[in-house]
Amino acid sequence: MSSSETQVRDADYWSCQMEAVSRRRDRDSFLRIYDHYAPRVRLYLKGIGSPEAVAEELAQEALLRLWQRAALYDPARSNLSTWLFRIARNLHIDRVRHEPCWMELENEPEWPDIDGGFSSAESHAEQADLQNRIELLPTIQARLIRMSYFEARSHQEIADQLGIPLGTVKSSLRRAFMRLQLGVRGQV
Amino acid sequence: MTLRHHLDEATVISFAAGALSPEMSAVAATHVGVCRVCRERLSDAERIGGALLGQQQPTLADEARSARLREAMLKLLDSGPAMEDPPAIGRGPHVLAPTDPDHLPRPLQPYFGRSWRELRWRWVAPGMHMIRAARGSGDTLILLKIAPGKSMPLHSHQGTELTQILQGAYDDALGHFGPGDVADLGDEIEHQPITARGVSCVCVAALDAPLRFPGWLARKLQPMVGL
Repeated sequence: MSSSETQVRDADYWSCQMEAVSRRRDRDSFLRIYDHYAPRVRLYLKGIGSPEAVAEELAQEALLRLWQRAALYDPARSNLSTWLFRIARNLHIDRVRHEPCWMELENEPEWPDIDGGFSSAESHAEQADLQNRIELLPTIQARLIRMSYFEARSHQEIADQLGIPLGTVKSSLRRAFMRLQLGVRGQV
Repeated sequence: MTLRHHLDEATVISFAAGALSPEMSAVAATHVGVCRVCRERLSDAERIGGALLGQQQPTLADEARSARLREAMLKLLDSGPAMEDPPAIGRGPHVLAPTDPDHLPRPLQPYFGRSWRELRWRWVAPGMHMIRAARGSGDTLILLKIAPGKSMPLHSHQGTELTQILQGAYDDALGHFGPGDVADLGDEIEHQPITARGVSCVCVAALDAPLRFPGWLARKLQPMVGL
């Protein structure tokens, strides 16, 4: 089985688990999601600057929200890891960086895609395609993407750290986004 | 609203990643609040974040912690509220009627207060008023009000300037900027905005480095303006 097929199967698998939580409040399914995603959310939070203990606490809170908000889940429209990414990031910005506008953004009534938690149409095949595109990024673009998402580094910090001009950081990120966006949008 | 000028995709990525400073985030959020194009791009950038989250590889040490945390989670499932009612989630008392014309865009309220009427503008130069946000992480966040038909001093930037037009309009070498448009400028841009006739141009700008003024008069002005 190719890695792409594995990823589609994985996305389907997690979607089914989530559907079981949503429809039947299936605890076993929730715990499967928890066991897989909680360590990943903790790692992500530590990377962007939550201290260890805070990362543990926020990851617990993110997964608990998933349990509590499961009724909002629409398997046809949503991706679990995108939802968890949003919640974890928002919790970090709210609790660790104490920035007020983020959670307000989340509460904004005209933001159903964020408020409701799960995003608009996103097939599992598209998500798998996106995973592949990330793996195929040129080395420098992959590095800049990771420094942005996993270390929350600003363009200037990346430029200083890697010793490259600010304009190059921006144009590389722009190109990376366009490559990945093709995956997100399901175009070829 | 159909807008002409959007956030740079690189800025959208950083915004989605939580990698913009609070000041830059406030301006980006103000723009995204009125711009469908950038909202969709933000959503795409968050999907990239989701895919990256799924690719994280926990180590054995991470796995070792998991047993204790799993026990704690099971207790939470037993004791916590069963399920939240969707409409009630996260709605704080701060939710405002979005239609009140006296209210500033929500992302700016923590910095400048809620009401346009209660803003205390400070004169900095003929035809130019400013308010600098008190709270801050290191970047500068300002509200600017420039009289109609006024030419700003020619300047460039040492870093990034993110400016959202809230009212009125200006023109510069990059084009016409009206309400809702954002100017996402890097250090390679030198520009001289000229405000449109008729109504004052009000904008919010985040700067991560001081401006550079090439002219002697503008340089003299710089210490006064404090940018």
